Amino acid sequence: MSLLEVDDIEVRYGAIRALKGISFHVEEGEVVALLGANGAGKTTTQKTVSGMMRPSLGEIRFDGERIDGLPAHDLINLGICHVPEGRRVFPLMSVAENLEMGAFRFKRPDPQLLARCFEMFPRLKEREHQYAGTLSGGEQQMLAIARALMGKPRLLLLDEPSMGLAPLIVRQIFDIVREINSTGVTVLIVEQNAAQALGLANRGYVLETGEMVLSGTGKELLADDRIRAAYLGEEITT
Amino acid sequence: MKRRSVEAEARIENLKRFGACLAGGFVLALMVGTQEGTQQDFGYAFRQSVAMPRILIFLGIGVLLYLAITFGPRAKPYLTRPGLRPLGAGVLTVIISLTLLKWTDSPQINTGKFRPLADAAAPTQALDSLARLWFGSAFSQTAWLLLIIVTVLAAAGMIRRSAPLSYAAAILAGVLGIWAEYASAAVSKFLHYPSHATGGAVAMLGFFTIAVASLVSARSQAAEADTDGFIDRVLGWRPGLALVVLGFAVGLVGVFNAAWFSPGDRNATLSTTASMFGATNLNGFAQTYLDWLGFVLFFVTLVVAGVASYLRHRLLAYAAIVLGLVSTLLTLVVVHDFSALGGKQGFDGAQGAWDNLGTGAWMTCAALSLFAGAGYLVLKDLRIEAKGVRAGSDIVGSGTAGARGQVAAATMLVVIIAALFYPPTATEFWQTVLVSEIGIYVLLAIGLNVVVGWAGLLDLGFIAFYAIGSYTTAYFTGRLPVQPPDWLLLSPLACIPFAIAACLIAGVALGFPTLRLRGDYLAIVTLGFGEIIRVIANNANGFTNGPRGAFNIPAPQIHLGPIHLTWGDSALGFWYLLLVLIAIIVLLFNRLENSRLGRAWAAIREDEVAAQATGINTRNVKLLAFAIGASTSGVAGVFFASQVGSFTPENFVLNNSILVVAYVVFGGMGSLPGAMAGAAVLTWLPEFLKDQVPAEDRQMWIGALILVMMIFRPAGLIPARRRKAELSGLDRPSSAEATAVPAGEGM
Ligand SMILES: Nc1ncnc2c1ncn2[C@@H]1O[C@H](COP(=O)(O)OP(=O)(O)OP(=O)(O)O)[C@@H](O)[C@H]1O
Ligand SMILES: [Mg+2]
Repeated sequence: MSLLEVDDIEVRYGAIRALKGISFHVEEGEVVALLGANGAGKTTTQKTVSGMMRPSLGEIRFDGERIDGLPAHDLINLGICHVPEGRRVFPLMSVAENLEMGAFRFKRPDPQLLARCFEMFPRLKEREHQYAGTLSGGEQQMLAIARALMGKPRLLLLDEPSMGLAPLIVRQIFDIVREINSTGVTVLIVEQNAAQALGLANRGYVLETGEMVLSGTGKELLADDRIRAAYLGEEITT
Repeated sequence: MKRRSVEAEARIENLKRFGACLAGGFVLALMVGTQEGTQQDFGYAFRQSVAMPRILIFLGIGVLLYLAITFGPRAKPYLTRPGLRPLGAGVLTVIISLTLLKWTDSPQINTGKFRPLADAAAPTQALDSLARLWFGSAFSQTAWLLLIIVTVLAAAGMIRRSAPLSYAAAILAGVLGIWAEYASAAVSKFLHYPSHATGGAVAMLGFFTIAVASLVSARSQAAEADTDGFIDRVLGWRPGLALVVLGFAVGLVGVFNAAWFSPGDRNATLSTTASMFGATNLNGFAQTYLDWLGFVLFFVTLVVAGVASYLRHRLLAYAAIVLGLVSTLLTLVVVHDFSALGGKQGFDGAQGAWDNLGTGAWMTCAALSLFAGAGYLVLKDLRIEAKGVRAGSDIVGSGTAGARGQVAAATMLVVIIAALFYPPTATEFWQTVLVSEIGIYVLLAIGLNVVVGWAGLLDLGFIAFYAIGSYTTAYFTGRLPVQPPDWLLLSPLACIPFAIAACLIAGVALGFPTLRLRGDYLAIVTLGFGEIIRVIANNANGFTNGPRGAFNIPAPQIHLGPIHLTWGDSALGFWYLLLVLIAIIVLLFNRLENSRLGRAWAAIREDEVAAQATGINTRNVKLLAFAIGASTSGVAGVFFASQVGSFTPENFVLNNSILVVAYVVFGGMGSLPGAMAGAAVLTWLPEFLKDQVPAEDRQMWIGALILVMMIFRPAGLIPARRRKAELSGLDRPSSAEATAVPAGEGM
């Protein structure tokens, strides 16, 4: 049984069908990448999985239980933690307070976990009492990820964690994602940065205007001509 | 060639600036001038405004403005000299006392302000010559002239950094302060009129400030004042010492000077009260207190608190708290005993317990409680220190954080003590204002602060819940056309749970469909809701009695076993009831702010999507904010209904909703003390100005104050930490250690 099974879901924004019946699955312990052009529906997929949106058709199962239609604050109790698109930290809370908010579902934050987060992100430790709004873009992204970790995720949803960051920092972020995965957290990552995402991911899916057009292991997709043309900017020479 | 044109341009620039300043003065003249005109004569107001002598004043203001703008930068180095700012504050205080404040309440002097009083007093032969001199028996503007002389002297001393000049100014200012108060007291004595007027005392304070400023300047070696955190440092030096000093000053007047008992035309101080009751059968303890124990208690507590504060001694601090509180209580008991006996003994004009009291006893109580407060501050300081040492000294290390906490706690204590002991000494007018304006709006502002300040939801229909609370009270006390069943007829205080329930339901009913809306949309929907409630109240004749409203709502009563409390005609009783309600609500809400719920509100306010992602049930949490705010407003409604006894839908107009929002914003959105202070200041000010400025100018002064506030303190009177950070562009670190952030590799 897969950890997450998405079965033929359709999601609408009013009259617009953003997802037109897509299916995929994520196994326990995997990193799965979700690729696609702008507006393909990647964010919508993640929001639906994390409970911020409801599918109008189809089923989502987590650990075999149906979860579609449940609100986000219930899903987080199952261990589905979402790092939304665009580094949404709480700007007027300190770094430490942001991390505490991440553990909102518990009575009080786990001090060991907090220490581990600071170990993983030493920059955040240095800036513990600084307002999150004054962090650099990269630091904010780290904070957003660390905050999600404070919720003890089983499935971590990352939406474009590398957006707008310098290559060096992007590499750091991907290293951290790998490290998180190695502690047993399953990851569903949305990325524009196809090469690096597929390098990291066990498997990947490609979305196009609300439909799933390709799937395969990371290596297979990296070798696929269509992927190379669309995301890696290479000419198809054949 | 080129050079010349630059000069010419500068000259033109200068001219333009001059013109603009004059025009500004002219516009000001029009704004401040009379606003009336007639159908036949539209130019009346205009001519009045530019009438000769007046317009010159305003053009003068324009010229001053021009000079300030042009030469201000050059004067800058002088403006930071030590003492110059306090000098400004002192001079301003004296000017206010000479222009705005009343110097006497006696109806014999027409407005009671300085000018008419001086005109009347100067030629009065019965007044002694020293006082007459102050009021201008020799030269008609003596007070002003002296103010100018001392100001020039002090300023010269500061700017030229000449110690002799500064000392001279200090001495002169000290003398003038005493003189002003002396003259004012002489007038009170002469007019035989118990006075609540503050003019003389404020003038004295102003002159003393000038004196202190000059002393500071004379003794200071520095070329520049170190104003950074000055007050924090002064108050942080010895915890609680400020309260001891304040208590000492207040207590001295209370114990030695002020009236304790004033039936008929007597004004008995503590010692004369003792002899007044010497021949009666006043119980032994009270007589002892009046004879000597009162003085002893005051001085012992003073010394204990002072030493505790100076040495930061734990046991002494406890002793000060116990002594202060116990002797406050004893004082109250004694006051009750002798005033009750005074009524029975038939002293001329004595009416019974708690009546005919002067200010003395209350001032003494305030002083004794201030000493207890000082003890508390010492303990608090010791506790913070202990915690800091345990936590690796990162609190104590910064020092100022502790001092700032001291300032907040000291201010809070002073406010509480003033709220307890000032109202009995106030006139009936101010007691009424305290209850029906200040107190009620403070309660409303506390409620709205939850919605607007904490959860960030703009609610423009807040007064609707106040209306619901009032109508619920009217219903359950049986004063509406629809009646509850007989067994459910309640006394007003018992309506509180029902009012809360009604407001919770109404809050949820309004919130459920609308909380998906954001910002301005929500504001408009709530505004509509407020109006709907009012219109229903106005039109549903059969239920709400329509525009006639509800009347004859009984005053609250409490009968609990042996305790029987009833409220009736005195506003003072209602004030203490209100104080209890406010205290309960503030205690609850204070917990709330740092609770899970409070943090959830903060998260939603800052970023709703992120809040959702951290597992906050955003809808329920927002609903709760709405409901909690609404029920606070409902409690205020219950109180209002049973205090005024009758109300109509006109009490719940949109304007009131907007006022409450303004109070919260003015005081500091999201800060509980801020919202309370905002409401208190803005409800007090119009009543205060009633006596001071022409009625039609009142709104202008208030508007000016709000404008100035919003320019200089955009985050409000007592800003919430977060909001302050937001408005200052986050550039100030949230704590001392954040400034020492390692440079890192840079991102
Ligand atoms: N709130 C909304 N209302 C209407 N349409 C929406 C809304 N949010 C998204 N859409 C539409 O749904 C489609 C999918 O959007 P989505 O945000 O999922 O794309 P994405 O794959 O994450 O794109 P990107 O890579 O640019 O982030 C788009 O066509 C978008 O315009
Ligand atoms: Mg997206």
